Amino acid sequence: MTRISGKYLAKRIVVSYLTLLVIMSLLFVLLRSMPGSFITSMISSGMTAEQIERIRETWGLNEPLWKQYVQFMINYQTGNFGRSPTYNAQVWDLIVRRMPRTLVLFGSTFIIGFIIGPLVGMYLGWWRGSTKDKSIFSTSLLLYSMPSFWISWLFIWVINYELDWLPSAYMFTQFPEFEWTAFTVMRDVLYHIALPVMSLTFIGWVGSMLIMRPTMNQVTDEGYVFLARAKGLSERTVMVKHAARNALIPVATGAVVSLAFLIDGSVIIENVFNWPGMGQIIVSAVLNRDFPVAQAVFFMLALLIVVMRLLTDVVYTYLDPRIKFGEGE
Amino acid sequence: MATEQSDSGQDGRSIRRRWEPRIERLRRGWDRYTEHKIGVVGLIILIIYALWSIAPGVFAPHSPDWVAYLGEPPIKSRLTGEQIRSLPHPPAFGDPFFAPFGTNSLGNGVLTLVIYSAQNAMYIGLAAGMLSSLVGVPLGLISGFYGDTWIDEAIQRFVDIMYGLPFLPFLIVLVAIRGITTTNIIIGIAVTSWLNNCITVRGETLSLKERSYVESAKVAGASDTRIIFRHIMPNVLPISFVFLAQDAAGAVIAQASLAYLGLADFTANSWGLMLENIKSTGYVFKAWWWLIPPGIALMLMAASFYFIGFSMEDVTNPQR
Repeated sequence: MTRISGKYLAKRIVVSYLTLLVIMSLLFVLLRSMPGSFITSMISSGMTAEQIERIRETWGLNEPLWKQYVQFMINYQTGNFGRSPTYNAQVWDLIVRRMPRTLVLFGSTFIIGFIIGPLVGMYLGWWRGSTKDKSIFSTSLLLYSMPSFWISWLFIWVINYELDWLPSAYMFTQFPEFEWTAFTVMRDVLYHIALPVMSLTFIGWVGSMLIMRPTMNQVTDEGYVFLARAKGLSERTVMVKHAARNALIPVATGAVVSLAFLIDGSVIIENVFNWPGMGQIIVSAVLNRDFPVAQAVFFMLALLIVVMRLLTDVVYTYLDPRIKFGEGE
Repeated sequence: MATEQSDSGQDGRSIRRRWEPRIERLRRGWDRYTEHKIGVVGLIILIIYALWSIAPGVFAPHSPDWVAYLGEPPIKSRLTGEQIRSLPHPPAFGDPFFAPFGTNSLGNGVLTLVIYSAQNAMYIGLAAGMLSSLVGVPLGLISGFYGDTWIDEAIQRFVDIMYGLPFLPFLIVLVAIRGITTTNIIIGIAVTSWLNNCITVRGETLSLKERSYVESAKVAGASDTRIIFRHIMPNVLPISFVFLAQDAAGAVIAQASLAYLGLADFTANSWGLMLENIKSTGYVFKAWWWLIPPGIALMLMAASFYFIGFSMEDVTNPQR
């Protein structure tokens, strides 16, 4: 408790908040500088100039840009995300409906990837230089080099198209014949999530392995590992209980950094598998110039990343007593 | 005459004396590099791709405009209905034409397209990797050298901001703003991928600037610029090469992902564009001979960059 000063914490929170504000401003500028406007899709060729003017008026596009910007910033501070022209719904409702779906996909991939990755990294780092290490390491690098949509296509082709074991699209069965109870819904979701999660973790676990392997290798030379061996503990106990625990700290940092990487993965995967989440709408929103939705989804993702980074810094001081924050870092 | 000869002989000797340690160091580095088989494999793959991109015509059986049944351009006749229905044509013996990996739905040879696309991927990988190193390494050096001052603070806050923007959606916005060309895709990838270089280089610099040789350079009156670029940068370069390789691999994959989302440069042959064409023509699960080669080619190029990068990491790791 005492290791983090309140002043430092307050400073970090303020800085994170300012970071978010800058990100929002950047988003506003970037999205506005894209060619085309989001009312383009509403305008048909038969409209008179007056009608088009009225549409511009209702969406507030006739205001000067700085006024739009101020309004945008004020609205986001008060949690008013506006209305989507293409989905014809409140953006906030859209996000609330889609966020959990993305989190289910995202979370399960994250958890599975961060169980497999560090475990494999632990073994490879401990026996670095052995034939086993070399072959597994190069294979995993090959996996890491695959484009995620391509490997998903291969999975869909074999498992869905040829073998017909698992569904390849959507989150639920489209016209279910079974009773709609909590159990069947859960089973149905699990059935549909299997293939996307498989494709995403097939590549995703390598990231944490790549961080774990070198740190594990460094830890093997430490004095306390030597001591644990000298005490007569078994190789396995030394590796898991003494070495791996300390090697896990950089992996935790890497987890936060790889959050952003996983977002990319889920953007692609959601599009491949027609998963009705945020990754799917962010792409279509940007391509259709649906600025309210694009801004809101970018904002939510940025919020997620900024908050996670803040939390790790704070949680760190409890994990590792050697780190002291607030004293000039 | 005699004195001149002895002079040149001395010169030669002194040049050799000057260069011998460097060549020796290079040879030792090369020996350590070849200890890792994956590094050698990566280098071989990359050399093959380099040859492909320099002279695709030598390796490809046809030109990319070749069409099955009709042959090389200029093409005067048209495909018959029956011939069109047989496309995309799987690789098979006894065809009236020669296409080792089959053809795509337009009748172009898949192998030919794969070979001709190497150039684009090579260009994107190397250019994006170098650009992001050119941004990330100097910023990391400056940020680390002026650690705990407002310069460091400003650069780090900027990195924080960039980290808050998810890579791929942000890349889509950047590419959409500037138009879909290969150059803009490279710039977009570079703008979004220099962050890791910057942070790692900063960390290295923070520890390097406490070393005694930096102190003595400072005492000797060297300017900050000189210390950063003459004394610290050479020690940071190896690790930044590792990141260059990784960024190059990431760029190749990112280009394919962009192409999947429909943001490919349609004027240049690329593996991403081939995959996008399979999707848009609806042959993803029907034409395996068209789906698998571009993916494998892409994977091997990214993997070769990773292989080289990770073996470099071992070579340059001072602890081993």
